[in-house]
Amino acid sequence: MAEPSIFFAEVNERQGVFHRRAFLLGGFSGVGLVALGAQLAHLQLIETERYTKLSANNQFNFRMTPPPRGLIVDRNGVVLASNRPNFRLMVAKDKGVDPAGTLKTLAEFVPMDDGRQARLLREISNAPRRSPVQIMEDMTWEQFSAINIRAPELPGVTADMGEVRVYPYGGAFAHVIGYVAKVNKSDLKPTGPNADPILLNPGFRIGRQGVEQAFDLDLRGKPGAQKVEVDANGHEVATDPAGDIKAIPGKEIVLTLDADIQNRAEEIFGSESGAAVMMDCRSGDILCMYSGPSFDANKFVRGLTATEYKELAQYDHKPLFNKALTANYPPGSTFKTMVALAALENGYDPATTHVCGKVWFWGGRPWHCDKAHGVQNLHTAIATSCDIYFYQCALAIGPDKIARVAREFGLGKEFDIGIPGQKKGLIPDTAYKRRAFPKDPVWHPGETPSMGIGQGYTHLNPLQLCVQCSRLANGRKALLPRLIKSIGGVERPSGAAVSDLPFKPEHIDFVRTGMAAVTGANGERIAHATGFGQADLGLGPTLLMAGKSGTAQSRGYGGGTGVHDRNGAWALRDHAWFIAFAPYDAPRYAVSVLVEHGGFGAGASGPRARELLRIALLKDPEIRAKIEHPLPIPEAPQVDSDPDVVDPPTPAAQAVQAAAEQQPT
Amino acid sequence: MTVSALTRPGERDRLIVKFGEIDWMFCLTLCLIAGAGAVMQFSIAGSSWSPWAGPHLARFALFFAIMIVLSLIDLRVWFALAYPIYGVGFLLLLAVMVVGHHALGAQRWLQAGPITIQPSEIMKIGMVLALARFYHGLSGRSAQLSWWLLIPAALILAPSYLVYKQPDFGTAILMAFTGVIVVILAGLSWRLIVAGALGAGLLVPVVVMFGLHGYQKARLTTFLDPQADPSGAGYHNLQSAIAIGSGGLLGKGYGLGSQAQLNFLPEKQTDFIFATLAEEFGFVGCVTILVLYAAVIFMALRTAYLSHSHFGRLAAAGVTATFALYVLINGSMVMGLAPVVGVPMPLLSYGGTVMLTVMVGFGLVMAVRVHRYSEVTSGKGSLL
Repeated sequence: MAEPSIFFAEVNERQGVFHRRAFLLGGFSGVGLVALGAQLAHLQLIETERYTKLSANNQFNFRMTPPPRGLIVDRNGVVLASNRPNFRLMVAKDKGVDPAGTLKTLAEFVPMDDGRQARLLREISNAPRRSPVQIMEDMTWEQFSAINIRAPELPGVTADMGEVRVYPYGGAFAHVIGYVAKVNKSDLKPTGPNADPILLNPGFRIGRQGVEQAFDLDLRGKPGAQKVEVDANGHEVATDPAGDIKAIPGKEIVLTLDADIQNRAEEIFGSESGAAVMMDCRSGDILCMYSGPSFDANKFVRGLTATEYKELAQYDHKPLFNKALTANYPPGSTFKTMVALAALENGYDPATTHVCGKVWFWGGRPWHCDKAHGVQNLHTAIATSCDIYFYQCALAIGPDKIARVAREFGLGKEFDIGIPGQKKGLIPDTAYKRRAFPKDPVWHPGETPSMGIGQGYTHLNPLQLCVQCSRLANGRKALLPRLIKSIGGVERPSGAAVSDLPFKPEHIDFVRTGMAAVTGANGERIAHATGFGQADLGLGPTLLMAGKSGTAQSRGYGGGTGVHDRNGAWALRDHAWFIAFAPYDAPRYAVSVLVEHGGFGAGASGPRARELLRIALLKDPEIRAKIEHPLPIPEAPQVDSDPDVVDPPTPAAQAVQAAAEQQPT
Repeated sequence: MTVSALTRPGERDRLIVKFGEIDWMFCLTLCLIAGAGAVMQFSIAGSSWSPWAGPHLARFALFFAIMIVLSLIDLRVWFALAYPIYGVGFLLLLAVMVVGHHALGAQRWLQAGPITIQPSEIMKIGMVLALARFYHGLSGRSAQLSWWLLIPAALILAPSYLVYKQPDFGTAILMAFTGVIVVILAGLSWRLIVAGALGAGLLVPVVVMFGLHGYQKARLTTFLDPQADPSGAGYHNLQSAIAIGSGGLLGKGYGLGSQAQLNFLPEKQTDFIFATLAEEFGFVGCVTILVLYAAVIFMALRTAYLSHSHFGRLAAAGVTATFALYVLINGSMVMGLAPVVGVPMPLLSYGGTVMLTVMVGFGLVMAVRVHRYSEVTSGKGSLL
């Protein structure tokens, strides 16, 4: 054994120091561990509640579930706008997601060319992280399920079922109901209802026109939330149905429209440009408001291509305008009803006669009429629509009195029907002339004859003419039009809760009788009556239509007559008006029809007004009961004992017998 | 057969006797901790042996065998290899500066064929061995205060600096601390200790201001105010605290820790495994694990205490100090008492490198225990 290099005493001292200090090391370690234990106790025993809450907040997220948009239905509950399921495909930018590769993979399932992929790729990279970008809508069930099976291998891809707006009648209601479309950047507002985060939901659509726009907030509803368990990357792990917050669907909006009448209007307008408005002349409810040609609102929901939009916007028949509210034209001869009423109200003797010889010289120039009507009084002049009579009649009363009557009938007025976009048009008077023509502020007498036949400055829209006609038909009340019957079950004020017209009922009756004479509804046969023969609605001898035609010049003719017939170029033809109500003796429905460049009013618009009134009456249960009055129950036929004498049964008796057989007792 | 100081030297060299001298209670405790680690890794993998629990157990089994083999190696062999191991470790640290592999912005590994070598881990054992070897031949008086102390200072600072440069701040601190602890245990004068502590206290702000990398500084500032940026740099601290705190007394239940299972907890299988355990087994589970760690430290320190050779004492105590530092640093970090430094919880965390270091270290501790009566010499008569 080698010499120990260190002496024992030293060795012992060294050992002693080590032992003492090792003891200290153990002590320090122990203290450290106890400190850890104390911190554990602090976290796990004292503050555990706080951390449990934080942990739960980490773990659960609420994912917004969009509410179903409110339905829009007609007065009878026929659905005009609803929602259908829509299989959507979305991709979100996220950690570990390669959008280009993902799109390439998705292109195996759904058609997607390179250009579209590039466009989507840009959209995805511009979108915030984890906010999904819609790749495709309306996938087939096969595509949807195929992608859902592969979804676990495709991070960032979601295929879900959303809802999309659908308009089952396509075009017929497009102008009234409008449509919904994608949210634009300009729709998003920092405050107010459009600050709602629901607008950022990829499937969300905002109301763009008509009812959809005007009642967007009512239709929108309140979004719900789905409680989902997420991991640290925000990926969904599981759902917790118990924690879901139910979405509150949008309110249902009931319109006063009748789908059958509206659809018939679309049919009878065909490719013609124009509008038809029908009101119930007892309540003011608008039963029909059609503007043609129309467009398929469903295409707007999907989003139009630039070409599609250009075609619609540039077509000279202007399908994108709601002509029922915006087409402002001179009312033509329909205005004579107002002139006549103004005359009566101002003491004009209806028996006053004027002779019409096709041309009338006054004020140093000739004034023309359609035909040489001969001797006319106020009543016959309405029926024949004699311009020469009304030139003189209007001159006798003056513009301001005519204007007052016209305004009382709603002409030149804007009505609160719920949807925006009415063009008021104009009823001129001397005050207007002063205001609008500072260089020539005087109303010249020569301007009055034009006003008397509804030309000149006077410009009105089909809704106003319908209101006018329904007030005439009602005869008493200054009815207001109502388009929205109820919102979410809350009824809107009726259009009949209004004051009476400030005119004598017998004067209005006189005008109505004149309108009946136009069509011959009152049995009168006045020579040259403009709408003669149009009284019959094909519903029997008691249900007849009264009306008044009007032909609005589409341009000045330099004193000559207009292009009434349908032979001229479309854009040069006159606009055809017709206002009518039925049944003549107990009016229920009033209609105004405008056919742009339709030519002669009674020719283009009259039959359309007639058909619409016919449908309206057919839909009316009381009228229907009258038409189909049940056959009286026949008495049991007496069986004659003598077989030799057999009366041949009359056709009527045969029908009675057949009916009896059909209903066995 | 129990061994005592009076047992004949030849008798003590018999393999079966050595085998009996291994502290089997100690081994059992290690197995329990490693087993708990596997249980947690099984849970957070969604009740699956892969990718963590299986390899963890397999590795532990292998390293356990290595530990047993190492514990049978004569302490004189350890003694003789102390400087060579240190030297090799130092050279490898230099090599890593030149050709090391990049990982997360730091250069820590050497790739030698299929084997990845992390020289800083070799150095952890190497430094303890070298210091023990040095102090074994140094008188108690010189160990207190003498110019000789420049040698251990160099032995500690040189490798620590290299590791710090990698940069691996956590390991560098751990290494330097271990070295300092060995120096103190060897008998450093109290006056020097106090002076050093004061000096270090003054130096810390300077190091923080100028010596730290951006990410290291961020970790420190977020430690001081973890709520300031909860989804950014403070995320680790906060999520870990949430995991532990929400565990409560008894935990959320096995496999039900939402923080870990849903990936809110970062590094859940490695550095933050303790938080995972805290979430699923609560205060009771955590205290149990801490008690096991305390038992390991106590038993290892007792081995150092019982050793008859100064080399053995210091080596065993040095290894124990490393282990204790691991536990305390990781524990404080997970519980929000210390900034986030990349220090795993030994045996509990997934990962082979630290586990190998710890098990090799414990092999040394067991060798000290088995050969606690052996005399190791520093002179010419030594083995080799």
